[in-house]
Amino acid sequence: MNLYEFEGKNIFKNFGINTQKSVLLRREDNIEEKYNELGIKDVVLKAQVLSGKRGKNNGILFASSMQEVKEAAEKILSSNIRGQYVAAVLIEERLKIAQEHYLSITYDTAKRQPILIYSQAGGMDIEDVPEEKIKKQYFDIRQNDIESDIPFAKELWQCFLQSDARVVEINPLIITSDGEKIAADAKVALDDDAFFRHKEWNFEPRTMLGRLPTERENLVGKIDEGENYYRGTAGKYIEMDGDIAVLFSGGGASIANMDALLQVGLRPANYTEYSGNPPREKVAQLAKIVLSKPGLRGLWIAGGVANFTDIAATFQGITDALDEVKPAYPIVIRRAGPNEEEGKHLMEECAKRNNLNLKIFGKEVAMGATATALVDMINN
Amino acid sequence: MSILINKNTKVLVQGITGKEGQKAATAMREYGTQVVAGVRPGKGGETVYGVPVFNSVAEAVEAFPDISTTTIYVPPFAAKPAILEAIENNIPIINTIVERIPIQDTAYCLAAAREKNIRLIGPSSLGYISPGEGRIGVVGGPKALANQVFQPGSIGVISRSGGMTNELSWQIRRAGLGQSSAVHVGGDLLMGTTYADLLKLFEKDEQTKAVVIFGEHGGNYEFEIVDLINKKEFTKPLAVYVGGKFASVFPEGMNIGHAGAIVGKGQSADEKERALKSVGVLIADTYEDLVSKILPYA
Repeated sequence: MNLYEFEGKNIFKNFGINTQKSVLLRREDNIEEKYNELGIKDVVLKAQVLSGKRGKNNGILFASSMQEVKEAAEKILSSNIRGQYVAAVLIEERLKIAQEHYLSITYDTAKRQPILIYSQAGGMDIEDVPEEKIKKQYFDIRQNDIESDIPFAKELWQCFLQSDARVVEINPLIITSDGEKIAADAKVALDDDAFFRHKEWNFEPRTMLGRLPTERENLVGKIDEGENYYRGTAGKYIEMDGDIAVLFSGGGASIANMDALLQVGLRPANYTEYSGNPPREKVAQLAKIVLSKPGLRGLWIAGGVANFTDIAATFQGITDALDEVKPAYPIVIRRAGPNEEEGKHLMEECAKRNNLNLKIFGKEVAMGATATALVDMINN
Repeated sequence: MSILINKNTKVLVQGITGKEGQKAATAMREYGTQVVAGVRPGKGGETVYGVPVFNSVAEAVEAFPDISTTTIYVPPFAAKPAILEAIENNIPIINTIVERIPIQDTAYCLAAAREKNIRLIGPSSLGYISPGEGRIGVVGGPKALANQVFQPGSIGVISRSGGMTNELSWQIRRAGLGQSSAVHVGGDLLMGTTYADLLKLFEKDEQTKAVVIFGEHGGNYEFEIVDLINKKEFTKPLAVYVGGKFASVFPEGMNIGHAGAIVGKGQSADEKERALKSVGVLIADTYEDLVSKILPYA
């Protein structure tokens, strides 16, 4: 999960990484009150977004009076930054900058260990800094402490380890004209899979899609919660602007099928994938939410030849939803694996009793070819 | 020949008394693989389908010193201690199916494994199968299904996805070919065994004439293949499909599909395909096309 700057800075503070004085302004807050609460004249207002370059896109504005703060805050809150939804505005003390550095820790996939990246040429994209000005240092994740004279390196290492972060980045790391070190920005991505040892993780809902999460996305997100979170997954749903509902099985098949759907000229209403033999109830919950989107013109249920996912049991979850929704649009299914005959029979019975326009294929046809079958049914 | 497994491989199942562990033990045994022992703390002395259960890996290894592979079936929060226990007891190959292991735990285990030259396949790996030789884990499914999909042949299969390992192997079989070995490497950000690691093994394997890979957007592992080919450490025909072209519409940092499939600069499906193409790798537009690309070399 990617964090907003203000959330990242709250974590930084716990590890002794200094940040400047600030207040968070939400849409519903009174700007005057917030500015007075901060009690500093010269401020910077920063859009709280999950990714993207704020500086170059009017997401960072300076102000030195109540009037200017109001104008800047309203401007930021009414914009979106390169497609990113602005969740709030962080109003901060303006710093007297002497130097801008860059510091981050993330996983290097080639070495499969953490890498610390530091540069005294911060304040810009690290990709744009010449290689000779970048210092890279690998660490063993088993080290509890690291030795380093880089400012905040030790603190950031503790933050990385103890927060189960995927990425922690300070850019710019500012040295003020008074010689103070300040993390002037915070980019933190947490590893969602470590949630079981972080009871303190309680963040507001978010999506990186430049908007608030939809009601369906929030509902689906809850399916995999609870004690048996790892017993199959069915909690993935991204709402898209097309009109073909999809229910894919398996991460890899879902990726191949999204590509195949676009190749035949159809537009997905969602991205959804369930895998790892989830129980019928999880699949039913997911399918009902997928089918609840208005304006659908087709449904494509597709997956590969499963290894051990019980096709009959997962299909029962889907027929539970079809029995309830009874879609009038065409439905194409392609799936194979354990109990495929029983699964096919269940689907055919479901189609019969609900008078569905449904075609079901097994492994005799490749997945991609069944997308073409859906196109034909929609066009007829 | 085969890679990673043969008829003599002796296998331990950690978490053998659980539902998934039992399923895996059965899958391996019915495919002719020797599952010699299981581990479940507190249940030492019991048996599962005739396989003796021990309280610890150390006890199991003491009773069966020739265990060469362990498979791990425990919940994600218990994965790290289970893998470390296998490493401490010097089992040379570890396969783990466990999904959603925290990245930090995976990195910890990989650092410990590397020190001892131990190979970890996974996390999130359903296992691997060498038709006619045996299988580790559950890849291929129940025996009847596995026999429909797999037969000994000349094509090596590597996949980021468990379902696609089977699907792709099936497309190979449909074309009248067989597989030398099929490996599900898992879809995590940190891979214990990468495409490049396996290509080195396939290079040495005489049975393997060509290799197909199902890859995904995100991560840098495909670029290691480019290096390997440039260094002439892999010289056989290779066809690759990189899924996730649609994902380029999403912002950087977003995760779609598997845990490792994160939208990132320089890691898109298109960029990977361009780099692979430049060293002569055959690029398939759809996963089905992998088979037609590789057919002339089988």
